[in-house]
Amino acid sequence: MSTSSSTVRVGTRRSSRPGAGLWKLQRSERIAGYGFVVPITVLFALFVGWPIIFAIYLSFTRWSGFGSPSLIGLDNYARMFSDPVAATAFWNTILFAVITTVLQTAIPLVIAVLLSAVWRGLSVVVRTLLFIPGIISFVVSGVLWKLIYDPNLGTLNNLLKSIGLGAWQQHWLSDPALVMPSIMVVSLWGAVGMNMLIFFAGIQGVDPTYYEAAQVDGASRWQQFWYVTVPSLRVVTAIVISLNLMNGFKVFDLIYVMTAGGPNHASEVFGTYLYSLAFGSTAGSIPQLGYGSAFSVVVMLLCGAAVLVQIVLSRRASR
Amino acid sequence: MTSIASRTGSASSVRSREARSRRRFPVGRSFVAFILLAIAAFTIFPLIWLVLTSIRPANTVFTGGFWPTSISFSAYARAWNSTDFGLHFANSLWITLATVLGVVVFASLAGYAFAKLRFPFKNVIYVLLLATLMMPSTSLIIPLYLQLKNLGLLNTQIGLVVLYVSSSAPFSMFLMRAFFETLPDELTQAARIDGAGEFAIFWRIVLPLARPGLATVIIFQFLQTWNEFIYANTVLQNTDELPLQPVLFGLVGQYQTDWPTLCAGLTMSIVPVVLVYVWMQRQFVAGMTLGAVKN
Repeated sequence: MSTSSSTVRVGTRRSSRPGAGLWKLQRSERIAGYGFVVPITVLFALFVGWPIIFAIYLSFTRWSGFGSPSLIGLDNYARMFSDPVAATAFWNTILFAVITTVLQTAIPLVIAVLLSAVWRGLSVVVRTLLFIPGIISFVVSGVLWKLIYDPNLGTLNNLLKSIGLGAWQQHWLSDPALVMPSIMVVSLWGAVGMNMLIFFAGIQGVDPTYYEAAQVDGASRWQQFWYVTVPSLRVVTAIVISLNLMNGFKVFDLIYVMTAGGPNHASEVFGTYLYSLAFGSTAGSIPQLGYGSAFSVVVMLLCGAAVLVQIVLSRRASR
Repeated sequence: MTSIASRTGSASSVRSREARSRRRFPVGRSFVAFILLAIAAFTIFPLIWLVLTSIRPANTVFTGGFWPTSISFSAYARAWNSTDFGLHFANSLWITLATVLGVVVFASLAGYAFAKLRFPFKNVIYVLLLATLMMPSTSLIIPLYLQLKNLGLLNTQIGLVVLYVSSSAPFSMFLMRAFFETLPDELTQAARIDGAGEFAIFWRIVLPLARPGLATVIIFQFLQTWNEFIYANTVLQNTDELPLQPVLFGLVGQYQTDWPTLCAGLTMSIVPVVLVYVWMQRQFVAGMTLGAVKN
């Protein structure tokens, strides 16, 4: 189909130079086209396409990596429902994704709006500074915040003590109730700059006549924000939301570095759980590649759902 | 997405719009400025603390105030020597450069083909390559590990680079295609009629014109590869071959109480990234925002 349509296009475009030369040109173009596309396609097939298919297959098997996998149907998926760690990982993944998405959308939006209201020089400085945590690896930011959260020596507890809030000192990363919120703060710290920049770019693109019209109608600044800025940023917001949702569903590095899913699985998410099932964070455990792959498939489905959310939201937003 | 980047890029129009939007907040600007500065200070505080801790004399780390009373750079020497920092830094550098090179070559070749050349099944291949753009790296770690093992590439830096290139090239290809599409068709057609070969057209005429796009791809890829942890930590077991991120991760257990050494190691690892950021901020931000939209 694409052959015939391209022939038509070529024919009309090059009508001034018909004949044998044309056919030769097209042929060299076709050969070059495939030649240029083959390397990336081969790599993709070997290291993306095949692994996806293999992960789906493995999720229906029991396998320790030795011998051959034995097919067990849907047992791995059924096992998730009776596995208390899987339940923790499920709720932690969902809560992490949803809460960080809300925070990492609302706060950057407000900051971006404030930024568009101040002197340009100040705006540039603040934007530059806020962006820096986003370029630092999760390993570095995870280790850094681990030191800050340290219950005895960490800066956070020391700071609380020195300003007279000693009673607020906590075991930030070893208290099961606090560990997820503590990690979410680090995620927020890293994500604000980037999301703020996306919103800032969006705000620069809002037609200023809207604000002028709102002012003429006597809208307060808050009303201008709510009735002009927010609706104009719907498409951008849809992008930011789905982006944060996806990053939330696939969270791994930060948690692996800061707590490795502990204490006692309290900060376990799908990523860390499947990693420990396959590559054994608990010493001496037999690799459970089949059960781990079932979680891979679930993460893929969640990310697919986040893509759908984006498509639905942006369709609705651009209507 | 591209429109966001170009909006960030066109400084003059942004400036005029900023000037207009400023008029909307005639009063209370100092208050807003104060809040923003406070947010910026909170954001940057952990990093200042990191650097300050790295230059404290080891015996004053857990005592004394926020500002160190005396400064010592001995932690940097300790971190450098005891972790073989130079070796791992070099590993990170070559793995990153090899990945960037691989991604740029594969992505620009394919991006150009998809933008300007006509061949059967073009759209089918294109959609296939992009369909899994959102796939998180954790979810493929098990089959990828097995695949590298089958190919005898496990525990080799080449294997790691191959993983990096194949997982990132499709997105960069998508970006490069967008840049190539902005170039006029007449350019390639004229060259073709003059008898230039397809590769010569790509290499001599099209690629030089796509330099801004290449810069974005290179910076984004550099950052992503330099910071990558999970694949590096899984594929390589031989300590000598490790890049920086897994080594930094290992430092935590090793220097549990020697915070200056730990902080010196962390600081040294982010220096190149921050330098590149300060040096090429505009392309950097464009690359990152585009990258974010992908991830």
